[in-house]
Amino acid sequence: MTKPFRMKIETQIALTFMRSRPKMTIVASLGVMFGIGMYIFMNSIIAGTNDYFEKVTLMSTPHLRIYQKVPRNDETILGQRLSDGSIPLVVNPQLVPTVTRIRDPYSLMDRLRRDPDLLAVSPQVSANLTVSKGSVEKNANLCGVDILEQDRMFDIASTLIAGSLRDQQQLTDGILIGAVLAQDLGVSVGDHLLLAASGHSSRSLRVTGIFRTTIKAVDEAKIYAHPEAVQQILQTDRSYVTELFVNVRDYDHLTKPMAQKLRERTGYSVETWEEANEQSLAGRVIRNILANAMIFTILLVAGFGIYNILNMTIYEKIKEIAILKATGFAGGHVVSIFLRQSLFIGLLGGVVGVLFGAGLSLGMSHVPIGVGGLSHLPITFRFQDYLLGFLFGTGTAFFAGLIPALKASRVDPVSIIRG
Amino acid sequence: MTHALQATNIQKTFSGAEPFQALRGISLTLAKGEFVSITGKSGCGKSTLLYILSTLDTAYQGTLHLCGEQVTGQSQDQLASFRSRHLGFVFQFHYLLPDFTCLENVMIPALRLGAKPIAEIEHDAMEKLRLLGVGEQATKLASKISGGQQQRVAIARALINDPAILMGDEPTGNLDSRNTGIVFDLFQGIVRDFGKTVLTVTHDPDFARRSDRVIEVVDGCVN
Repeated sequence: MTKPFRMKIETQIALTFMRSRPKMTIVASLGVMFGIGMYIFMNSIIAGTNDYFEKVTLMSTPHLRIYQKVPRNDETILGQRLSDGSIPLVVNPQLVPTVTRIRDPYSLMDRLRRDPDLLAVSPQVSANLTVSKGSVEKNANLCGVDILEQDRMFDIASTLIAGSLRDQQQLTDGILIGAVLAQDLGVSVGDHLLLAASGHSSRSLRVTGIFRTTIKAVDEAKIYAHPEAVQQILQTDRSYVTELFVNVRDYDHLTKPMAQKLRERTGYSVETWEEANEQSLAGRVIRNILANAMIFTILLVAGFGIYNILNMTIYEKIKEIAILKATGFAGGHVVSIFLRQSLFIGLLGGVVGVLFGAGLSLGMSHVPIGVGGLSHLPITFRFQDYLLGFLFGTGTAFFAGLIPALKASRVDPVSIIRG
Repeated sequence: MTHALQATNIQKTFSGAEPFQALRGISLTLAKGEFVSITGKSGCGKSTLLYILSTLDTAYQGTLHLCGEQVTGQSQDQLASFRSRHLGFVFQFHYLLPDFTCLENVMIPALRLGAKPIAEIEHDAMEKLRLLGVGEQATKLASKISGGQQQRVAIARALINDPAILMGDEPTGNLDSRNTGIVFDLFQGIVRDFGKTVLTVTHDPDFARRSDRVIEVVDGCVN
């Protein structure tokens, strides 16, 4: 060693103490490494799961749904006609049969499409009807949509297992049907189906494609058709639209304010995708709590590991601490030496832990699942998990070292040196 | 002229089930450039006295002045700083840091004091090691040299900050007669050539006899 002590003296002593006990240093760093690695892995898999469920949800739910609510009985109208002191009394209130449609939908859509925050607007003409092939009859939920617009929202192309969107777009009497429904009816691409709405006319339409979303309720009942075809079956005019599906630019933050804005601007009811899927949001909250509990436990265990190892180090080095104090090191300098030691262990474990976490996440993302639409374990790689994992890990190491370091600073040199 | 050390009525009681008064009012004065030995039987309180005089033990009654400064009542951090500037220690066991080289061991107190640039400290440390005849051991680990050499490195470390007073707790207690002779000559040289004050506790009557003055402690009093 030609040039000793290039660093601060406390740093040099801390590093030398660590080097002289390589096994201890490695074991302590391994504790931090596992803590940080598991933090990263747990967060990645939770984020991946959340992303997966969100994607599945958004494959069947638009960010915003604009629709006309069935009007409720409104007492204020009655109240206006009555004098003071009267009590309005309504017996056996009934819903008035009204058509729940969007009035003048095309000019409303034109206005919506000019909003830069809205990515896609898709009119829906939906009807519940029966679909039959020969003697087999099934209930179905018919959706009259522009299939390309709908595809931009729900990525229908990726769920197609037969046929193509191009055929559906080009054939005015074409329909896309769910895989389970197709199986129940025993039809394949090119076959004709008879669709009949109660109290309306019926029409024969041709299957141009079959899709599988893995959501059973959708796969066994959903049928996509051209809006005109649905309007014909329902015997309504060309501007009959039951609801509008809207996708916004930033669905994490923009849906709520945008829903409020559209409610005020159009007067219709607007439902966000979060409101439509509250149960999956509850699942997300529970997953986050579980993950945090596990991560906290892992970091706590790693912290205890560092605490133990530093305590042992201090017990071993107690004579050296005494001599340092005798030769002019104050309590604060001794604290500084051992805090540096735990910080270095934290940094070492942190760097290795980030790599370990990345490797573990990458490895686990190849584990096959094969249930529903999941081919592999869903893992999302987010920079923030790595950064926070590193900070939490080194922070834990630092605080775990604080108590032993303070203990070291209180070593009484006289009692140690005299034996 | 100020004294190197002036202790007035130092008393020390060990508390416990049976409180025991180890020091019963000791007063003593050391002039600058004096080489003083403290002797006495085991348990007479001579080591207790040395640790009080060296500021490591602060639980005592009486007052202590070192190098003209009252150290009684100073905080632990102030005392650490004082030791760093004015005192050097040599113990019965060398107490070197085994994971560092001899050179590094000598440099550490000077780096703590931080009064000089590193290059100068390294040069001074090397010089001290050569003065004590262990210059060629500088780059070896402190745990890898012989006992006599370790004690000489420890003396070099005690001298690195140019202390006014050098304190020893049986510095030759663990050495053979040849090394004892070497250490004594070194101490004498420090006093004669550099005008330092040396205060050592010793069991060795030969060592005590050859120093300038002998203080004998009997049952917690100076005889």
